[in-house]
Amino acid sequence: MLELRDLSRRYGETIALEGLSLAVPEGEVVGFVGPNGAGKTTAMRIALGVLEPDAGEVLWRGAPATREDQRRFGYMPEERGLYPKMRVDRHLRYLAALHGRDNATATAAAARWIERLGIAEHAEQRVEELSLGNQQRVQLAAALVHDAPVLILDEPFSGLDPIGTDVMSEVLAERAADGAAVIFSSHQLELVERVCDRVAIVNRGSIVAEGRVEELREERSSPRLRVEVEGASDGWPDRLAGVRVVGRDERGVLLELGPDADDQQVLEAAQQAGRVRLFAPARPTLAELFREVVER
Amino acid sequence: MSFRRAAMLVTRREFGERIRSRAFQISTGVTLLIVAAIALAAGLLGNDGEQEYTVGAQGGEAVAIAESARVSATAYDIRLEVKRFTDAAQARAAAKAEDVDAAIVGDELVSNDSPDGELEQVLQAATREVRAAEILRREGLSESDARQALAPPALQARTLGNSEDEERKGVAFIASLLLYMQLIIFGLAVATGVVEEKSSRVIEVLMAAVPPRALLAGKILGIGILGLLQLALTAFVGLAVAAASGALELRSADLGILAVVLLWFVLGYLFYSTIYAISGVIVSRQEDLSSSSTPVTMVLVAGYLVAFPVLEDPSSSLAVISSLVPFTSPIVMPVRVAVGEAGTAEIAASLGILALSIALLIPLAARIYEGSVLRMGKPMKVREALRAARATS
Repeated sequence: MLELRDLSRRYGETIALEGLSLAVPEGEVVGFVGPNGAGKTTAMRIALGVLEPDAGEVLWRGAPATREDQRRFGYMPEERGLYPKMRVDRHLRYLAALHGRDNATATAAAARWIERLGIAEHAEQRVEELSLGNQQRVQLAAALVHDAPVLILDEPFSGLDPIGTDVMSEVLAERAADGAAVIFSSHQLELVERVCDRVAIVNRGSIVAEGRVEELREERSSPRLRVEVEGASDGWPDRLAGVRVVGRDERGVLLELGPDADDQQVLEAAQQAGRVRLFAPARPTLAELFREVVER
Repeated sequence: MSFRRAAMLVTRREFGERIRSRAFQISTGVTLLIVAAIALAAGLLGNDGEQEYTVGAQGGEAVAIAESARVSATAYDIRLEVKRFTDAAQARAAAKAEDVDAAIVGDELVSNDSPDGELEQVLQAATREVRAAEILRREGLSESDARQALAPPALQARTLGNSEDEERKGVAFIASLLLYMQLIIFGLAVATGVVEEKSSRVIEVLMAAVPPRALLAGKILGIGILGLLQLALTAFVGLAVAAASGALELRSADLGILAVVLLWFVLGYLFYSTIYAISGVIVSRQEDLSSSSTPVTMVLVAGYLVAFPVLEDPSSSLAVISSLVPFTSPIVMPVRVAVGEAGTAEIAASLGILALSIALLIPLAARIYEGSVLRMGKPMKVREALRAARATS
């Protein structure tokens, strides 16, 4: 488990992190979401040891992470960075060696990831000769090439085409299945919902919601119901106590139930209004949750 | 991973990527060609070389004259080959056909064109000597007495305007030029390399893997080893061609000067590349590098310019001071050593000051580097960089 505990960091007058705490269990993929400037990149840099926190600590497997621990982590920075003039295969071997792999292991790992990420035909080209999408794959390979126990990826999906996105999602899931702790930041919330086991939402330097996506939906939002009634007038739910109409389309309505509302009363009212085609709990999407916690 | 291993890996990359680059290979090739061409030209212009003549001789006296001329001619850098003829007509024919440059036949010196002045002089002198010896012998002097009378000890030639000094000045001048160019080129390569890592943002990936000090150390070492090898190769080729073309008589002193140049390059490079690294790390884009590195380059240019008056007057106070100040000593001191005007104590003091400056500079640069390497955006002021350096301690 990688743990960030009570991290604070400011840049001059700007507060980047304020008591941020977050856990990334080994074997899981954690999505790290939050508005721009919320502190995601700062938190990731601190987790890697590239940046020192003003307060707080990073723990790895229960003990304060040493620089040696942190140098084994794999990192994909938001600002992509590779030597433009270096050959792809040499570059990956070099990074593997910097992470402590011997020559043979580095060479084998570089070849394996080049193959796995579909850039074999570019292996002997210079990085700058590749398309941006392919450079992105090299960048991912750079984070993976030393079989890191922790992967910290800043916006790994941005700029990828759908096929690249699929490859990236698969690889992250594989690494987690192999026992790695994986955390990545993204603004593509549907993707996060699909790929991640857990989600952490950060706002203004601290975590405002964290947990399994399912748990979050249950604990963070008032219950909602999707009801479709054939032949009902539009106003049928209006007089129900504690019920608010939050969405409406030609087939039905989305209701939010306050603390004093009773879903059985809603069902009765619906049946009186017409033929009930659908009566189901509507779970908020991650995007809706995100807006809710961030705007609150 | 240990600091040493990390720095070694970085060193290997810096060296390997550069030596593989086409640009480096071409520029090295061009430099070698230019140096070889200069050394060759100096040889051809400065030395008209040995003259060779073939002289025909017919008859005992003629052969004696020709042989005597052959021996004395070597002193004038003239090589004579003597060809004997048994028949006067044959000898004349050979001279006519220019098979020989001139032929001595009886009392005549025959040649197709009028013979070269120096050849004629040598032969006339030999003739006088042989004939005078013959007369003296007839008068009863023994052969050795006759020879003694005709060849008294010659005057010892001693040149006051020392040509060896000129040669050493030439070597010193070329040494200062090579040092200056090498320090600028490889110092700037360090600055550019540091900025390249910042502007391409690869620095963040690297910093996640190895300590920033190992990155800096490896970069300086890798580029420096390349610079040293290139300088050694250039100097070696230059000296070899100069010796072969006769521009320079290789003495052990010249090899000593080569060693001095390489030693001062190593120290001068460590000093300047460290400053260049600082000039690189305080900016984030190649476009900003020229404004931060120009002051460093200007100091190096000044060091090179000081070498000229020092060459003319290597014991002036300007020479003494500038060979002690670490900013100029890497260029000036080798010049003074090359012209033989630096005492052992001065050399030791210069080396000591330079080494001490490097020892103080490197930790400071390492801290500035650590504090600034992740800063992106507008160029930092030196004051900000120092503040960032304090923050890393």
